[in-house]
Amino acid sequence: MQKTGYAANNVPRTEVPTQGKELMLKRNNRPIRGFTLSLLLAVVALVAAACGTPGDDGAATTATTSAAAPDTTAAATPDTTTGGTETTEPATDSTAAAGDGTVTVGFISPTTGFVAALGTDMQRGWEMYWEQNGDTAGGVTVETVFEDDAGDPEIALTKARRLVEEEQVDIVAGPILANTAYAVAEYVAGQGIPTLHITAADDLTQREADPHVLRVGYTSSQTNFPAGQWAFEQDHQTAVTLCPDYAFGWESCGGFVSAFTESGGEVVEQIWHPLGTQDFSTYVTQIQSTAPDVVFIGSAGGSDAIQLFQAWSDFGMAGTIPMIGNCCFADQVFLREVGAEAMGAVKSFTYWVEGRDSEEVQAFVSAYEDAHGEIPSLYAAGSYMMARVVAEALATTGGQVNGSEFIDAARGVSLDNSLYGPLEFDDYNNVVGPVYVTDIVEREDGTLWAVVDETFEDVSQFWNKSPEEYMENPVFTRDYQGN
Amino acid sequence: MSANFILVQVMNGLSFGALLFLLASGFTLVFGLMRIVNLAHGALYLAGGYVGIVTVAATGSFFLALLAGAVAAAGIGVITERFLLRRVRGNELPEVLLTVGIAFVIGDLALAIFGGNPQSLQAPELLSGALSFASFGYPRYRLFMIVLALAIGLGLYVVQRKTRIGAIMRAGVDDREMTGMMGINVDRVFAGMFLFGSALAGLAGVAAAGQLTMRPGADTDILLFALVVVIVGGLGSVEGAAVGSILIGLIDSFARVWIPELSYFAVFAPMALVLVLRPQGLFGMPE
Amino acid sequence: MSRLTALVLSAAGLGAVYAAPYVLPSFVISLITLVFISGLVAMSINLLAGEAGLVSIGHAGIAAAASYGIAWATLNGMGVGSRVLLALGLALVVSAVFGLTTMYTRGIVYLMISLALGMVAYGLALRLSGLTGGQNGLTGIVRPDFVDLWWQFYFFTAAIFVLALLAIWVMRRSPFGLTLRAVRDSETRAASLGYSVAATKFIATMLSGLLAGIAGVLAVWNSEFISPAAASFARSAMAVVMVILGGTGTLFGPLAGAAVVVGAEHWLSSYVERWPTLLGLAFIAVVIFMPKGLIGQLPRRLRPETDRPQKPAESIEPEATTHTSA
Repeated sequence: MQKTGYAANNVPRTEVPTQGKELMLKRNNRPIRGFTLSLLLAVVALVAAACGTPGDDGAATTATTSAAAPDTTAAATPDTTTGGTETTEPATDSTAAAGDGTVTVGFISPTTGFVAALGTDMQRGWEMYWEQNGDTAGGVTVETVFEDDAGDPEIALTKARRLVEEEQVDIVAGPILANTAYAVAEYVAGQGIPTLHITAADDLTQREADPHVLRVGYTSSQTNFPAGQWAFEQDHQTAVTLCPDYAFGWESCGGFVSAFTESGGEVVEQIWHPLGTQDFSTYVTQIQSTAPDVVFIGSAGGSDAIQLFQAWSDFGMAGTIPMIGNCCFADQVFLREVGAEAMGAVKSFTYWVEGRDSEEVQAFVSAYEDAHGEIPSLYAAGSYMMARVVAEALATTGGQVNGSEFIDAARGVSLDNSLYGPLEFDDYNNVVGPVYVTDIVEREDGTLWAVVDETFEDVSQFWNKSPEEYMENPVFTRDYQGN
Repeated sequence: MSANFILVQVMNGLSFGALLFLLASGFTLVFGLMRIVNLAHGALYLAGGYVGIVTVAATGSFFLALLAGAVAAAGIGVITERFLLRRVRGNELPEVLLTVGIAFVIGDLALAIFGGNPQSLQAPELLSGALSFASFGYPRYRLFMIVLALAIGLGLYVVQRKTRIGAIMRAGVDDREMTGMMGINVDRVFAGMFLFGSALAGLAGVAAAGQLTMRPGADTDILLFALVVVIVGGLGSVEGAAVGSILIGLIDSFARVWIPELSYFAVFAPMALVLVLRPQGLFGMPE
Repeated sequence: MSRLTALVLSAAGLGAVYAAPYVLPSFVISLITLVFISGLVAMSINLLAGEAGLVSIGHAGIAAAASYGIAWATLNGMGVGSRVLLALGLALVVSAVFGLTTMYTRGIVYLMISLALGMVAYGLALRLSGLTGGQNGLTGIVRPDFVDLWWQFYFFTAAIFVLALLAIWVMRRSPFGLTLRAVRDSETRAASLGYSVAATKFIATMLSGLLAGIAGVLAVWNSEFISPAAASFARSAMAVVMVILGGTGTLFGPLAGAAVVVGAEHWLSSYVERWPTLLGLAFIAVVIFMPKGLIGQLPRRLRPETDRPQKPAESIEPEATTHTSA
């Protein structure tokens, strides 16, 4: 069919004569000599590359042969670092001696691009900690170099390289998206430099745990195990889940589904929506027609969460079928947009609760509101917590940052009270702490926020199993939801 | 699967299609007449949406917001056309790069001004909640979207078919050179068309802000959909944009229920199919 | 530009490329490596856009196919040779899909089909999480030993780039390159001269795909990580932007375009918060003041002889409407 269509094109059309024909006629062997010479030059370059084995040129001496060798800065190549912030450290040792009294942290977050909101909040939370508590810890001054990764793993990786090779940072903190986090952790940990995250990707502290990587936050599934158990205890027999169709959603839903079914509930339908769904009406209609006892939303927040709830309430569903959200569904960004309809319509299971009755939390919230005019998000609180853990760990090590030893010290941090509540770390570098069941209420000034209704203490990322038993199963995916 | 369920899904598809039509009609008109693939169309949508949100917050009037969003986007469009696009007219690839540049600037300035958090506007009381039919309720705002798209579509149809301006537009789409030779001031027609197309993008942004959110990246997300609509319908054809919007809206709505595994590319497969079988799109004009 | 100056300049260029790791810090070298890799992707698009008038907004999908091929093969313990073969094979399979669906089209239709296919590739990368790791991506894709160190990888990438440059140069002067341009300028005439237009386009797409595949291999060796972002619309679109920015149809344009874009995204963003605005303004300025692109607009005496812009612009015209069955 296309053939005939193509044949129709053979009908001559009037066209201006073009260069193509001339070129065809002019073809001759003139360029060949130039080509041969260039080829020779290229071969020279290739040979140079191939023969450039260590020992016969300057660049070679920087070899980082063994996997754990921390030395990455080009010791032999003249260092023409651009930035003025460069710290003067002995180039032979990656570990920051407290010698010059400065520990540099490279902070990578997305401040442009589609998740710019998260990155901005993260920077603010991080800065607020050092402003409030001073920038010295363990006898050293903590300096931060901020970098924007635009939510792109390749850019995040470049930024990590710059921080390690040019700024010679001692600690890396930051990337929030699962893919930026994995890309950066892989490289930075490979350099023997400790990294801290609040990103939720389960395996970062499970099957791919690394002695250089600490998560100062909860895994995607961690807060949702209690949600599953709690939902069944509320006498909900059937549930529908709606989660985004990628790892974060699979893991969030996986936590809820495995605990809910283990308790005896039945998940009648699992709906997966593409990341960045514009129109949620389809899914709302689907849930409407299934009419389960409860619906679980495992959202990464942002526009998906808002658009989902707007469709939900447009269809008159708010307050009909009880809705349970994960950490990131009904957060402050969400509440600012959807307004009062969210009150009484959503229960959340999370670890950062801005309205929690705690001196520490309220001090942070009011200071943050004074500075930025809004209630801090989970990302601001999480980064504040990262800063606090860094400070506590530095106090323990006396300002030394020694690769995984620093992470060991950080893992030893145990807080009786913090923005998350009482907290410690497990052997896999992840938080063990409370999970709060929250309600949305109006604050005195009319602003909506979340307050604690119930608390599950000491929730581990492995829920009710031992780490070994838990990790025998694969990580949650669309096809594996714990049953 | 009950009849009600299917009926509501059809409505869902239509209301999403209505939004796509608002965006796609401006895009396709500009392309049809000026042969410009305006990749800043999404950015104009975003700009319109933000202006609408600000207007509602300041005045409380949804109608004013629609107007302000359209005017703001039209203003950006006029500046773009008059001072930038006109200088490189006829060079398609530089034009594309130019519109990408404009999209970058608008997107980043919007981030600087409005922050990265998703924002939406408060729909007026009249358009909130659900309207009850015999056996089901349907959100008023979505019905409003359908009505708005119908009104714009009908208006465009009448203008194109019954007025002198429409005749010039159609002539320009068919043969630009000849139209110019007939004594029509092509510069003015082009400027007018770009203004109008931009205004439609701004209007779509405000309307969308009542149902979706404005945020960094919202422009490219929706622009991809609009592109698909325009390609399926046929570049330059308003009728094509109408049919394409309905089709893509319905496909998107039903594919996500019936073939959720493919939801990431459900709308791109029909597009590829249409292009391979009928490269000019459903309503594209044969040479 | 005389042949002598051209030779002196290319020698100087190669000399600079060779000397760079001895004088520049490793981070800068890794940036240059990235420029070469992005330049290769842009070059593969330029091969189609400049020579055949076919603009593809889906090439990130082809490059990503090769990256995923390497990733899978590495993680499953295959040897270096079979890794590369598998990766390039995958890239060629994807290119064949591109080629077969687009060989009867041109202009905006070609562009849109490539966009759709690119989106499908992105969707698959997200969806086939068993193989691709889904959104999280795959880690631990180590480079082969012979390019383990940063400067080794730099030299390797630079050499591949130079070879690709030469290959394209030769191709442009080969009978095939001339056929391609004939097809670009007038399909009717090329067909009436007895060339198979569809086959020519198909082969061009395959060649371009091979180049994109090589870039994909280098990209994953560079980051030792792969995620669906590598196949995203943004990535594809930015590669096209690099081509236009540098000058469609020029030999060195893609490299120049890649340098600007990579420079803004990866370097400028460390120092300027509003870097996307600057990048956007740069695009606008280039279009207004240098509509033929950074390289295309160079004064003739400064321009490599082979680097005249090659009348690429026709491509967006929806001439495909001529394909309706008569």
